Amino acid sequence: MQDVHTIGKYADFAVGDIRTFAEACGVTLSVTLLSLLIGTVIGIIFGLIRCSKNKLIRFLPLIIMEPLRNSPLVVQLFLVYYGLPVMAGILLKDYTAAIITLSLNTAAFFGVLVHNSILAIPVSQWEAGYALGHGKFSTFINVIARQALRLLIPQAITLYIGQLQCSSIVSLISLRDITRVGQLLSVRTMRPFAVWGIVFGLYYLVSFPLARLADYLAKRIDYTY
Amino acid sequence: MAMIEVKNVTKQFGDLTVLDNFSVDFDHSGVTVLIGPSGTGKSTLLRCINGLEKIDEGDILVDGLSVNNKKNLKQIRKTCGMVFQQTVIFPHMNVLDNLTMSPIKLLRMSKAEAEDKARYYLDKVGLASKEKSRHNELSGGEQQRIAIARALMMSPEALLLDEITSALDPEMTREVLNILVNLAKEGVCMLCVTHEMSFAKEVASRILFMEGGKLVCDVSKDDFFGSVREENERINKFLSFIGE
Ligand SMILES: Nc1ncnc2c1ncn2[C@@H]1O[C@H](COP(=O)(O)OP(=O)(O)OP(=O)(O)O)[C@@H](O)[C@H]1O
Ligand SMILES: [Mg+2]
Repeated sequence: MQDVHTIGKYADFAVGDIRTFAEACGVTLSVTLLSLLIGTVIGIIFGLIRCSKNKLIRFLPLIIMEPLRNSPLVVQLFLVYYGLPVMAGILLKDYTAAIITLSLNTAAFFGVLVHNSILAIPVSQWEAGYALGHGKFSTFINVIARQALRLLIPQAITLYIGQLQCSSIVSLISLRDITRVGQLLSVRTMRPFAVWGIVFGLYYLVSFPLARLADYLAKRIDYTY
Repeated sequence: MAMIEVKNVTKQFGDLTVLDNFSVDFDHSGVTVLIGPSGTGKSTLLRCINGLEKIDEGDILVDGLSVNNKKNLKQIRKTCGMVFQQTVIFPHMNVLDNLTMSPIKLLRMSKAEAEDKARYYLDKVGLASKEKSRHNELSGGEQQRIAIARALMMSPEALLLDEITSALDPEMTREVLNILVNLAKEGVCMLCVTHEMSFAKEVASRILFMEGGKLVCDVSKDDFFGSVREENERINKFLSFIGE
C-alpha cells in the first residue's frame, strides 16, 4: 500500500488511496458523530437550565456558552490541545482534544436552539396545560416539548451540517480526517485539483441529503402549524 | 361551605391594583355571569381562582383548598375547568387526542374509556365528525367548542369561562352560546365573563357587576335587569353602552 506519509516523494494515485480515504471518512464521521451526540446531550441540559425562572441559575450556562459562541473554533481547539497540557498538565490525545472541543462548541450552540425553541411556544400553551390540571413537568412533556421539538429539529440539522464542515479543523492537530488526508495526498500526487475535488465531494455527499432533510422538515412545520 | 370562596383578595400588577380587597363566594349550582367594563379585573379574578396568577393578599379557597399553597393547584384546576378568550387547542395533536390526553395522563383513565367519553362530549358540542381534525382545519367557533369539551373531560365541578365568544363572529358566537345554554340546563355550574346579555338573560341565575377591582353589585338576574338597572345609573349606562 502506498503510504500517505511519503511526503516529498512523488507518487501517483494508487488503489490503496481508496482505503486511506475510507479510513479518513471514518475519522471525520466518528469525531463528528460522537461530538454531536455529546454536544446535543449537554446542549439540551444547557437549554433547559436557560429556561429556569431563577435569574442566577439561568445565567450559569452562559459562562460556558458565551465564550464558546464568540471565539473561533480553531482557537478553542488549540487551547484544549496545546494549552491544557501547559496549564493543567493534562496531556490529551488529538482525538480526545478534537472531541472535547467540538462537543462543547456544539453544546453551546445547541443550548441556544433548545432555549429559543421552548421560548417560541406561546405562554398560552403552558396555561392551557396548567388549566387542565397538569403540573409544570407534565405540561412541558406533553404540550410544550413536542411542539418545541418540531421547531428545533430542522435548526439542529443545520447546526449538525455546519459542525461536520467545521470538523475539518481537526486536520490542524494532525488528526487524519478527510481534510488532513487531502493535504497529504495532494502534496504526494501533485494533483491538487483531483484530490481537493474528491475531498469536496466527500463532504458534500454527507451534507447534501441532510440539508435537504432540514429544508423538508422546516417546510412541513410551516404547513401543519 | 361555598365551592369557591374569594376572601379579601388584593392583586396588583406593579402600581396598578387590579383586585382591591375583593370578596365573593360561588356555590355549586347555576350560572353566574360576571360583567364590567374593560380592564376592571374580570380575567384577573378568574385567573387568580385557577392559580394562574398569584394573589398579593387575602385567600381563595376552592373546595376548602387554598390557592396560596402550590400543592393544591393541580386539584383546584381539576375542580375548576377553564376556557380562555383566545382558544388554545394543542396544535401537535388531533381533536380526539386533545380531549383524551389529560384524562389519560392525569386521571389514569384507559384509552378506550377516555375515547368513549371524548366522543360523548364531542357529540354534545356538535363536533362528532371532527375527531380526527387538526386545529388548522377548524373554525374559531369549533375550536372554542372543543376547548369546552376538553375542559369537561376532566369532570370539573365548575367551568370558568373568560369571554370565550368575544373573538368570534355572531354566528359562531351563537353556536358556542347554544352549547353553554344546553350545559347550563343540564346543571353544569359555570362562572362566565361575558357581555352577551341575551345569554345572561337566558341562563344566568346570578349577576355580578365589577368595576375598578371592586364588586359593585351581586344580585339575581331578575333584579339586575329590573330594579338594579332602573336605580343604578352606572349599570344602566354600561348596559346601554354594550347595546342592551
Ligand atoms: N400580566 C399583566 N401584567 C400587567 N398588567 C396586567 C396583566 N394582566 C392584566 N393586567 C392589567 O390589569 C387590568 C385588569 O386586566 P383584566 O384582564 O383582568 O381585565 P378584564 O376585566 O378582563 O378586561 P377585558 O374586559 O378587557 O378582558 C388591566 O388594566 C390590565 O392592563
Ligand atoms: Mg378579560
